[in-house]
Amino acid sequence: MTRIGILSTAHMHAHSYMSAIETLQDVSVTGVYDEDAGRGRQFCAAHGVPFRGDMEALLDESDAVLIAATNADHRGFVERAAARGVAILCEKPIATSVADAAAMVQAAESAGAPFYMALPVRFVRAAAELRKFVRAGKIGRILAMTGTNHGYMPGGWFIDRAASGGGAVMDHTSHVADLMRWIVGSDVVEVYAEIAERVHNRGIDDCGILTLGFANGVFATLDPSWSRLKTYPTWGDVTLEVVGTTGVLALDAFAPRVHVYAEAEDGQATHRYDYYGDDMDLWMVDEFVRSVRSGQRSDTLATGLDGLRALEVTMAAYESAESGRPVAITPWQP
Amino acid sequence: MLRALIIGGGTMARTHAEIYSRLPTAAVVGVVDPDARGRRLAADLQVSFSESLSGVDWNAVDVAHVCVPTPWHRKLVVEIAKQRKHILCEKPIARTLADAEEMIAACEQSDVRLMIGHCVRYFPEYMRAKELVDAGRIGRVAVARLFRGGSFPPSDTWRDWYANRNWSGGTSVDLMVHDFDFLRWVLGPVARVYAKSTYGESNRLELTLATLRFQSGAIAHVTGSWAHAGFGTRFELAGNLGLLEHDSFKAGAVFHEATALPAHEDMQGVQVPRTHVHKSPYQLEIEDFLHAIVQDRPFSVTAHDALEALRIGLAVEQSALTGMPVDL
Repeated sequence: MTRIGILSTAHMHAHSYMSAIETLQDVSVTGVYDEDAGRGRQFCAAHGVPFRGDMEALLDESDAVLIAATNADHRGFVERAAARGVAILCEKPIATSVADAAAMVQAAESAGAPFYMALPVRFVRAAAELRKFVRAGKIGRILAMTGTNHGYMPGGWFIDRAASGGGAVMDHTSHVADLMRWIVGSDVVEVYAEIAERVHNRGIDDCGILTLGFANGVFATLDPSWSRLKTYPTWGDVTLEVVGTTGVLALDAFAPRVHVYAEAEDGQATHRYDYYGDDMDLWMVDEFVRSVRSGQRSDTLATGLDGLRALEVTMAAYESAESGRPVAITPWQP
Repeated sequence: MLRALIIGGGTMARTHAEIYSRLPTAAVVGVVDPDARGRRLAADLQVSFSESLSGVDWNAVDVAHVCVPTPWHRKLVVEIAKQRKHILCEKPIARTLADAEEMIAACEQSDVRLMIGHCVRYFPEYMRAKELVDAGRIGRVAVARLFRGGSFPPSDTWRDWYANRNWSGGTSVDLMVHDFDFLRWVLGPVARVYAKSTYGESNRLELTLATLRFQSGAIAHVTGSWAHAGFGTRFELAGNLGLLEHDSFKAGAVFHEATALPAHEDMQGVQVPRTHVHKSPYQLEIEDFLHAIVQDRPFSVTAHDALEALRIGLAVEQSALTGMPVDL
């Protein structure tokens, strides 16, 4: 039996991770700690798991933890979990500064605690197949990529800079930056970004275009905008087009969908996408549990260091938008 | 009856010429081209042919269409302006700002009207997008994403001129200039650009990714590709009140899978988009050109607009070459 604790439910993905755990065999939830006890108790009532007011006691009884805290709180939770040697799966982005991320990676490293990032797009079957095709040379040598991770404006603490560290660029750069690195097998060394607040008027960046240069000469753009409104048929997207010397591969992660045309309760005509593809969170949590159970490090899950690399891109983007110049990344070295 | 002279014999010359068969009050009267393609076009149209402008009976001409490779635009437009004939010149207006300015000045001096064929302004999906934005349907535009691309123009065009960036300007000046003109039309003046390109890539592949920042604060991302297959365009305009999207790959009202190549052998040059409407965008463009002349009203797209679109294309090229953002 693999014992899993949940640290914080500030991020809505806590529900999705919990649902994933509920479908897995031989996994028990040791409990949920939440810095907001009311929110934590509500979560526990919804999922039938115990609320734990004492985080250290919870860590004592757990083999692994899922951290679904605000971005700014990730460091504290990761350091405490690492100190107890438990395996960690932390919500993205890793932190709100590269210094925090580096401290987290080092803490896990020195404690020997496996430290993974919740970057589940790697577990979209189509993304893995795209990577396989690229690696098999189906499109020749990669020239360039264009990616998007559009979304709704999530509201709540996501638009509170102290808790989130930034808006759309902080929220939506990690997934596709990680996917691109995973596919090209090279690190981002330069970032130029145009960033703006033009969609929601909430005092935080909500749209932008990032241009990334990779060490191997490939370049790419990434659109992390919260540019989907409630009238759009779905919450957002994850897309990636890879242009090579002998072909093009295009991923639309949420393309498996049924179009639903129906009346809303107020009689308004609606058109929604109903996604029926794989639950990427489920396959990611499954891989995490397998690695904890076997004691073997996963070679598919994104590591804390992968999360740090994605955050380096995010922070360079903000710096570039501020300065109006391309920003060179000096990769943090352990 | 308005009498038109077609200069050129390639894909765009034939596209322009064929429109005239649908116009009741205008006709092509001659073709000028140093190349055998122009001779074939003249034969097909059963009109006079000449290898150079010196062989043209200018008394029998009212307007001239310049449908030749970009580096020839300046020389031809300046010569035609001296003959005091109104001109519809293919886009981009020229390869350099100096050429473009000289063309505009020559036409102004001779009191000749110059329109540049920014045909995207006559494509119904782009016209509709402009109307919707102007009507406020999506509020203030935040981020625009545009794609235009397909395969590299074939090598049997005049001296394979698309492959020579000194002549064609490559994706940023020849292809994306359509999107730059459209974006400027919808979003106003551009403040700065940043771009990366695969310039210098062998095997006839070129892809440019450009980010435009407008004076209004809006952001646009434009992909221009000669590294894809076929030809197609996409746009997405996201505003604070809504979003527009269009995908030419999904907008075909009739689909046909070709098992042979039925197109005229001289029309297998650069890819020309197909639109399933009664009046093609090229017909709307040519009608607008002719009506504006007859009615003495301004063109919908001016030579100045074309100059500004070129300025953006050149800035994108410069950014891709230098790796630095370029202010306009």
